[in-house]
Amino acid sequence: MLNKKSYKFTLVDMAVVLIVIAAISIFFSRMGSLLDYHWQWEVIPNYFMFKDPITGAFRANMLLIGFMTTIRLSVWATVLGFLLGTLSGIMGAKGSFSQRFVSQLYVETIRNIPSLVLVILFYFFVSSQFLDALRLDLWLRHQSDTVQQVVGFLLAGPAQINAFVSAVFALAIYEGAYISEIVRGGINGIPLGQWEAAYSLGLTRSQTFLWVILPQTFRRVAFPMAGQFISTIKDSAIVSVISIQELTFQGMELMAATFLTFEIWITITILYFILTFPLSQAVSFLEKRFSWR
Amino acid sequence: MKKLCFILVIAFFMMGYTFAFAGDKGANSRESIIEKIQKEGVIRVGMATFVPWAMKDKHGQLIGFEIDVARKLAKDMGVEIEFIPTAWSGIIPALLTGKFDVVIGGMGITPQRNLKVNFTIPYDFSGMSMVAHRRKAAGFSSIGDFNKPEVIIAARMGTTAEQAAKKFMPLAQFKLFENESQALQELNLGRVHAVVSSAPMPMFHALKYPDKLFVPIQGTFTKEPIGFALQKGDVDALNFFNNWILNMHSQGFLKEKKAYWFETKKWESLVK
Repeated sequence: MLNKKSYKFTLVDMAVVLIVIAAISIFFSRMGSLLDYHWQWEVIPNYFMFKDPITGAFRANMLLIGFMTTIRLSVWATVLGFLLGTLSGIMGAKGSFSQRFVSQLYVETIRNIPSLVLVILFYFFVSSQFLDALRLDLWLRHQSDTVQQVVGFLLAGPAQINAFVSAVFALAIYEGAYISEIVRGGINGIPLGQWEAAYSLGLTRSQTFLWVILPQTFRRVAFPMAGQFISTIKDSAIVSVISIQELTFQGMELMAATFLTFEIWITITILYFILTFPLSQAVSFLEKRFSWR
Repeated sequence: MKKLCFILVIAFFMMGYTFAFAGDKGANSRESIIEKIQKEGVIRVGMATFVPWAMKDKHGQLIGFEIDVARKLAKDMGVEIEFIPTAWSGIIPALLTGKFDVVIGGMGITPQRNLKVNFTIPYDFSGMSMVAHRRKAAGFSSIGDFNKPEVIIAARMGTTAEQAAKKFMPLAQFKLFENESQALQELNLGRVHAVVSSAPMPMFHALKYPDKLFVPIQGTFTKEPIGFALQKGDVDALNFFNNWILNMHSQGFLKEKKAYWFETKKWESLVK
């Protein structure tokens, strides 16, 4: 790369680094004296994994289980939100008047209410009427152990499945509104010339859309979409209010039981960071790779 | 096309209403949860973490007074048990919308709650007690000392602790938290004067930080009955649970468990 800037470490940089280090150490030393907190970090690893006293095998504990649930939740919510958002985005960009109206109604409603309120409304009112009536838990309980294990790995066990599915839907509806706008923008951003060229080759409107416009759109929106996935991971913490056993909820349960407030909040923060930071780095790396091609 | 879309939207809303009314009808003439539990072979119990009523041990298993009670109930009914840990502020809506069959979660029987749900006879009595900050609440020794506008009291949101605190100390200011650990953290930092919570937790907490905290009022200043909560209109379930509790009282099971969880701290090594 020819245009890469070479950085010189100047006096100003030095001063900035020193100030930051000083601020951080003042912060921590002040916190130490102000909190007068009895740190007990040594018990934390145990909440990730512990050795079963009977079998001697290692088993996952609350924090690790919560971490996995957060990943599952985010993946499914993104998959569903992607389908929903793509549909709504296409409707919003190229649909008839009423289709655009429906898409706009969806996007503007969701984007203008707090996610917390949406999750609670959805869980107590909508999912009680529709999803709970399916009795997924009952169905799952009557399946063989293998099926239960597979579903347990992909989604959740019988005790949690109803709540998990409604949380996935609630998150998907929320994220779908943002994905919809990404897709709509992506489609509208394709130059008109592409349409005209396709028409002149004799493609119909739907063929053009499916084979010419959509593939280009997906290439354009891939990175914003990946960014939306990262936000979904962070947003998934809100479903702790409807008692989904994800990372934040497990952490709060653990705090309620052990009173290790700071150790656990800090651990949870680091876990979310571990999950999202490499993802965002990967996205920006790929973005750079593809942009100069 | 435009017309079709509007018709679809209207049809969707109408479907929603139909479902809503069907749900209402179902609530009035549904089968007893006792039958449902027997048929499905599992009882779903809603609970929230309250030390030492219910908490997770270091292996992620639920333990506590309430957990022992619920497990014994399931055993006597010959069914499996599933605990559904729920945020306390949302536990009654979750019960009403059928997310679980019964709340066995140290829920105090209060008239306001009773208007929304049915309670069994009490299986336990609890009371509110207090833990205060040594420096902030220095010299405080009665409820009256705390009942001043400059005093700040922390409690868990939506609990009877909140109600009791507001009733006994109407002049004080309140800080409400979703969890007890947050309220206690606030106390440890010295940002509130005291935390009100069900006994014995305040006392245990004062014992843990003797140089920082103290118990201003010995014993409890309220006494409240604790019952199972279930949806309204289920006489069979209410009758079954009431008689089960009566039995457990007369067998001494409840007393024995209460002594273990509330008067000893043998269980502490299980948690940390």
